[in-house]
Amino acid sequence: MKINKVPLLCDNTSAINLTKNQIQHSRTKHIEIHHHFIKDHVSNGDCEVQFIETGRQLADIFTKPLAKDKFFFIRNELGILDSKYLA
Amino acid sequence: MLMALYGATNDSLCEEFVAAMRGEFEMSMMGELSFFLGLQVKESKDGIFLSQTKCCKKIFKKFEMENYKEESTPMSTSCFMDLDLAGTTVDQTKFRGLIGSLLYLTASRLDIMFALCLCARFQPNPKESHFKAAKRILKYLTGTTTVGLWPFHSPIHLFGYSDSDFAGCKLDRKSRSGTCHLLGSSIISWHSKKQACVALSNADAEYIAAVLKFSRSNNN
Repeated sequence: MKINKVPLLCDNTSAINLTKNQIQHSRTKHIEIHHHFIKDHVSNGDCEVQFIETGRQLADIFTKPLAKDKFFFIRNELGILDSKYLA
Repeated sequence: MLMALYGATNDSLCEEFVAAMRGEFEMSMMGELSFFLGLQVKESKDGIFLSQTKCCKKIFKKFEMENYKEESTPMSTSCFMDLDLAGTTVDQTKFRGLIGSLLYLTASRLDIMFALCLCARFQPNPKESHFKAAKRILKYLTGTTTVGLWPFHSPIHLFGYSDSDFAGCKLDRKSRSGTCHLLGSSIISWHSKKQACVALSNADAEYIAAVLKFSRSNNN
């Protein structure tokens, strides 16, 4: 199996632009150097950071307590299902 | 004693493998996989269903939580957790036991991962409020014991998701990053971790989360 470009979905446009921009900016100076290794991989074409709206961001379930509706939506999207409803 | 799991798309390949292994080792066949290290495995035409119903029930019994009211989510959205130094101290052994037991469940129940990791941070000095939050996870589980992972056959596309909550930890203002990878429509890797350094902006926190995710996808 060969995967050319792994799409990484992120809901913050500024963070996406940071991965594309090769120039250091005074506001990004404090970010430790080892965190910038994603820039190399983006320029090599290993991965592509894409935008996804917050409503469809599935990683939300790992970062904050969610309300019922959104929690169930993400849970289903991640393939966590109730065996009662499976055939 | 050693246990080996194997699978093949073809029955004859399986038989060949068993014959070769029997020549080398003394072994007995257990048949189709149904229970392994606390994971219940149910195979169907469309995929494999992994659940930990038995493990869940054992935990309810251990902590006498069988008849509690069910909750729909593992954590309230208004939940605020800090050191709570003024609160009443609870039995540390019991709290640690509860966290430890619940950690076993995260093998298939990644929906409790976030709430559980948050509670686990207060293990050295657990207070009544922390114990209450941990019990809420149990209450959520009582209503969802039959829930499990269902990786089913789907076209193979690898997607990574990354997110962070900026300055989510109220104690040291560090952010938490959460990432997951989906192969087709099945989740294959996930993590929820507090970032090691303090992020100064939301973009910074998200950027670090993206880097963590990418390093994981490289390792995998």
